[in-house]
Amino acid sequence: MIVTPVFTLNDFLPVMPAAVLVVAAIVLMLSEVFLVSATRTYQAMLATLATVVAGGVAVHNAFEPARAALQGYAVLDPFSSWMTAMVCLGTGLAVLLSSGFLKHRNAERGEFYALMLFAAAGMSLLALSAEFITLFINLEVMSIATYALTAFLRRGPRPSEAGFKYFILGAFSAALLLYGAALLYGATGATKLIEVSAALPAAFIASPGLVYAGLGLVLAGFAFKVAAVPFHMWTPDVYEGAPTPVTALMSAGVKAAAFIALVRTSLFLVKGIPPEMPFYLFSGMALLTMIGGNLLALPQRNVKRMLAYSSIAHAGYLLLGVAALFAPQGAATTTDVGVFSATPLMGLVPNVSSGVYKGILFYLLGYTVTSLGAFGTISALERREDETRGNTWDLERFAGLAQRRPGWALAMAAFMLSLGGVPPTVGFLGKLFLFSAAVDAGLLGLAAVGILSSVVGVYFYLRVVVYMFMRPAPADATTPVRHWTTELALITSAVAVVGLGIVPGPITEWFGRLGMIFGH
Amino acid sequence: MTSAIVEQVLFWVFAISTIGAACGVIFARNPIASAMSLVATFFFLAGIYILLWAHTIAALQVLVYAGAIMVLFLFVIMLLSLSDHGPVMTFSPTRIAGGAAVVGLFVALVAVFRRLPVTELAWTTDAAKMKDFGSIKHLGEIMYTQWLFPFEAVSLLLLVAILGAVVVAKPRI
Repeated sequence: MIVTPVFTLNDFLPVMPAAVLVVAAIVLMLSEVFLVSATRTYQAMLATLATVVAGGVAVHNAFEPARAALQGYAVLDPFSSWMTAMVCLGTGLAVLLSSGFLKHRNAERGEFYALMLFAAAGMSLLALSAEFITLFINLEVMSIATYALTAFLRRGPRPSEAGFKYFILGAFSAALLLYGAALLYGATGATKLIEVSAALPAAFIASPGLVYAGLGLVLAGFAFKVAAVPFHMWTPDVYEGAPTPVTALMSAGVKAAAFIALVRTSLFLVKGIPPEMPFYLFSGMALLTMIGGNLLALPQRNVKRMLAYSSIAHAGYLLLGVAALFAPQGAATTTDVGVFSATPLMGLVPNVSSGVYKGILFYLLGYTVTSLGAFGTISALERREDETRGNTWDLERFAGLAQRRPGWALAMAAFMLSLGGVPPTVGFLGKLFLFSAAVDAGLLGLAAVGILSSVVGVYFYLRVVVYMFMRPAPADATTPVRHWTTELALITSAVAVVGLGIVPGPITEWFGRLGMIFGH
Repeated sequence: MTSAIVEQVLFWVFAISTIGAACGVIFARNPIASAMSLVATFFFLAGIYILLWAHTIAALQVLVYAGAIMVLFLFVIMLLSLSDHGPVMTFSPTRIAGGAAVVGLFVALVAVFRRLPVTELAWTTDAAKMKDFGSIKHLGEIMYTQWLFPFEAVSLLLLVAILGAVVVAKPRI
């Protein structure tokens, strides 16, 4: 007796943005086959258009009520839809940055944009997966596309090393995640998160060790993707070796998608477990990552590497938000009845959560535009002849930029201030929302450490600004390569960084809504 | 009763052989020997799949992995004509820390598995779930009805993997 599944059009709504991206990626891939002209600017335009359309669909989805779709394998909730919209924004900007970057290196190919769109589709699908096997497959779609992008330009020894390192370590961490999911399946007999969470209390009483081992391995897999200390070793090498627009996409998109999946998974998987366990785990990881990322970034003279360490530190601030979700203070209260009232998460999520979701999403949005702008500026300052040498991204490269290109220097200064969390930038507001949500959850100490460590961060961000504005340009200084797509992307990010920092507008209200996450 | 004993004996034979062959993959200095050990690992693993009533997976394991994919592996190794002098193992603090983490994880997992209840897990006694379990008919049925979305997601994964492989295999872009 075969039960035929019945789908309505509504079921496909959550995967529509990803579908748009995949179709455009296939068109781009095939465009290389039927290519007649040598100019490839239309490919970047097509890819940007696809991200705009997909982002529009995602924004539309964000106002739909939260629900499960596609037989419970996917969910449609504002949390994942906003994430998809941010990924589309980040990918669109990265595509624009890549166009000039690749053209300058005579390496513009349809496959590059296709892989970028595939990676974006994987990120969007990862954010809405509500089942372990689906989650793993979508994680791999995202990861494999980024592995290939990392090794796309193999000039000099660095990119091959970065691609290989990322691939091996990424495969290892994905295996850990899969093994953890298998152990949880062994304990509960289910792979859908909602069913696992329903069976978890009984399984925890029967064999707590098995549940802990499964959870630990799943979290280790995610911690690798978000580059949390002590799973951060790969980050500087991979970020440095990848083509700079790809690094921008990795730091913004891959991390954001993994964070959303981490939040969703851990919200479901803490049922029946002593509530202080996930709290201690996430606070410990947040503490290590905030301090470790900032301290490691301090001695870096290589700006690209410094930004890689800074992205570790930013993962730490986001982990602080995740820890706030599990803060013991609110765990006992039963409030915030969302759209799904009779779900396993009822009464589990503390009442600070809407503030935390707002903080996490706004922080991710701010980090997306800031990091794309910062890496974009670096990519425009790179010189082709330096590809095999090591000093491509040295601070000296920024000396006197304010005299040569005042606009660029101003934009880069805005990005650096935003990364450091200085008003009036989006980075300041993101930190404000996140830290105030953490304080509301009773995490005064952790929030204080966060603020102190971001003060440390201001030092190495401001150092770049000092070099740009107060040091004379070296004799062999080159002007940045100009390309209208690069400038468009940089102007967009700069406007977003300052504009959202002054007028966050309705976005904060949208991000603060209840029923943000399915099951809440 | 005897069938249970036979199952136990077979399990230990397959399990120990799998682990032994897997160690061979790691410790063999000759890449060809490593690859052949991997074939043996896949083969013994297929035996464990059969004991788990996963016949289809066992058959696919032998046909696809031990057969097709390993032949490709061997071709690649022979075409690369590597020397058997691999890199010499050196010890640095990070390596030692990594090794300690692996040993710690192993010990923790052993401790967890030793503490598992000896009775069958509750859900494996569910007669409705175990009916037809592992047969190709059953597998096809649920794959195309209940597991439609993951199944389609895999096709996307394969497409991305092919494109990624082509891009990385290009000599120079």
